[in-house]
Amino acid sequence: MDARLRRVNKEIADCKNDKASNIKIDLVDSSPFHLKGSFPGPKDTPYEGGVFEVDIVVPESYPFQAVKMKFITKVYHPNISSASGAICLDILKDAWSPVLTLKSTLISLQSLLCSPEPNDPQDAEVAKHYMTSKKSFEETARYWTHIYAGGLGSKGKVDTKEAAKDEIAIAGLEQTHVTQFEGLGFERSKVIDVLRRMNYRGSNAANISDERIIDELLK
Amino acid sequence: MDMDDFGDDFKVPQRTVRKTYEIEYESLPQSAVERLVANDIDHISGIFGVEASAASLLLRYMNWNKERLIEKYMDNASAVTVAAGISPPSRASPSALGPDRSQGSSSGTRTSGFRRSARQTPAPPKAKPQPFVCPICFDDTQASFAALACDHTFCSGCWTAYITGKIREEGEHAIRCMAEGCALVAPDPFVRTALTDDPETWERFNELLVRHFVASNPNLKYCPYPSCTYTVSCPTAASKSALTTIVPIVTCGPDANPPHRFCFGCPIESDHRPVICSIAKMWLKKCRDDSETANWIKSNTKECSNCQSTIEKNGGCNHMTCKKCKHEFCWVCMGPWSEHGTAWYSCNRYDEKGGVDARDAQSKSRASLERYLHYYNRWANHEQSAKLSVELYAKTEKKMEEMQVTSNLTWIEVQFMKKAVDEVFKCRMTLKWTYAMAYYLEKGNEKELFEDNQRDLERAVEDLSELLESQIEPEIIPTLRQKVTDKTVYVSKRNEIMLEDTAKGFLEGRWQWNVPVEGFD
Ligand SMILES: [Zn+2]
Ligand SMILES: [Zn+2]
Ligand SMILES: [Zn+2]
Ligand SMILES: [Zn+2]
Ligand SMILES: [Zn+2]
Ligand SMILES: [Zn+2]
Repeated sequence: MDARLRRVNKEIADCKNDKASNIKIDLVDSSPFHLKGSFPGPKDTPYEGGVFEVDIVVPESYPFQAVKMKFITKVYHPNISSASGAICLDILKDAWSPVLTLKSTLISLQSLLCSPEPNDPQDAEVAKHYMTSKKSFEETARYWTHIYAGGLGSKGKVDTKEAAKDEIAIAGLEQTHVTQFEGLGFERSKVIDVLRRMNYRGSNAANISDERIIDELLK
Repeated sequence: MDMDDFGDDFKVPQRTVRKTYEIEYESLPQSAVERLVANDIDHISGIFGVEASAASLLLRYMNWNKERLIEKYMDNASAVTVAAGISPPSRASPSALGPDRSQGSSSGTRTSGFRRSARQTPAPPKAKPQPFVCPICFDDTQASFAALACDHTFCSGCWTAYITGKIREEGEHAIRCMAEGCALVAPDPFVRTALTDDPETWERFNELLVRHFVASNPNLKYCPYPSCTYTVSCPTAASKSALTTIVPIVTCGPDANPPHRFCFGCPIESDHRPVICSIAKMWLKKCRDDSETANWIKSNTKECSNCQSTIEKNGGCNHMTCKKCKHEFCWVCMGPWSEHGTAWYSCNRYDEKGGVDARDAQSKSRASLERYLHYYNRWANHEQSAKLSVELYAKTEKKMEEMQVTSNLTWIEVQFMKKAVDEVFKCRMTLKWTYAMAYYLEKGNEKELFEDNQRDLERAVEDLSELLESQIEPEIIPTLRQKVTDKTVYVSKRNEIMLEDTAKGFLEGRWQWNVPVEGFD
């Protein structure tokens, strides 16, 4: 039997038999080389309560070459692209070892959620947010967990009034800031886009003059 | 083919002394570099009293810098040994060596202070209490296992697959242990054993070692041509400062056709004489940055300046004659051709006056664009003309071969065209780069002399180019042959002068630049 197939089949079976673990690996289609992993967000983090799904592709020369993984669930985290789900993690690149498994890699992703590494970011904007205000970052991450990963979030259940707030909260911005520039006649989506890019958050907001924002808005 | 083979056609003096624009270098086959590698390994192995495989890993870790390695090793041998991936941290010093738990101590032979780096593999099946299953493949039919000095044991099949992938796909020569986080590096005998049945990958591994050695040594450069394994040694061009006075164009190996010619001093994979590397790099960057502005020039068609009908260029010659109105003009400057044959030919020179007169910013920037386009236009044109003349020659060659059959011309007698086309191509490459140089040359006497040489070469090349596009009929061959041969000799002389004088100018520090140039104050 093909070595890769034997190894992957064993990994899937082992994972199924391990009742104690909360890591799941499922087939996506009939191929054992395209899989979907999932795990709960770790306790005492903004990701708690959410379930995170990961797309897994087992390359031809697995396990001698690293498995390819990216988040299917949208995650707000400095080392995970908020747009594509791409992950910046050493074991998925140079530090890969053939003794690592799909399950151990998923566990590493789970612990990556516990310990962001903003100095080696995958998503520079999210990393800036984290560095500027950890509290505000966590609020946004919790909100993302709530709306994308089925987590509870901090604001309890969503009511209709809050729907309008959505895009502001998703961008990790403050309602008052957005309405201030919206009031000058700029479109809300544009204001959100500019403020997010400029990291208009926490103490950093004081460093950015209104003129600069308006300059950006006029571009 | 040597010029001498053309008998009396070409009376070019035998090459005896090295010319100023040539450089001393040596082309080394991979086996010669392998000997250099082996010498270094022997040297280190001898003074440290370690096995060759360990010496190799130590040298690779220190990028083949023997002096630094010796210094560091004398300072703290065990730290270097661990850092080079030879011993696991806990076993770095002999005193910390624990009992070898896995298989007696047959492999624990010590060579002057540290543990032998690897077992010969595949090692005999390990005498473990229960059957050992490889933690990578989970294949319980595997019977042969191996481990580095760290004792992380895996089956031989997995080692082979892993090592093959590292070499073939990642081009890695320092192959780490498969265990997570283990920094041990597989020594050469271990790699060799794993690749026993795959000599091709073992070959590739040795090439990677040689490449690493060459890349670490400023006196050496690997031939950039795909799948070529030659190395060029050129100590005279090894320092940055040398590159302000010489253009180290080298050719690898004795038998590549066309020869693998490249620059030892920079990544440009062609002959950029007479221009030094930093100027060549600056110019190529400028061309890349301004590529859009200059794109229109590359087009193969222009309008006749007299009757405006479209004219297509299909040969390398720049002397154009409009099919419709018979107006003769220069493809490059669009001026009447009649002016090009006279003493006041100045197609190559840019009239700087416009730039001086320009007062406001807008006309200044237009003048600077015009100036750039003057040089770029000529640069691009020589490149294009060189290509076109080769293409055109392919057609002529066929015709000449046919003539050889139908007339009583000998093979030698029809070769003069080939020789001439080669010369034209070579000279157009020189001319091309002279425009990059002239663009950055400061105005003054020296630049004028440079441009005189450029003009003479250019005119000679255009004349020869034109001859090459003559209609070939058997009757005219003898006269044409004489003319072409004479012109070829002349062109080759002009090219010599251009290259020689420019090279001398660099050595004498005669060239002044109109912009700051790397390495010049
Ligand atoms: Zn195995
Ligand atoms: Zn190891
Ligand atoms: Zn070569
Ligand atoms: Zn160069
Ligand atoms: Zn015309
Ligand atoms: Zn002209």
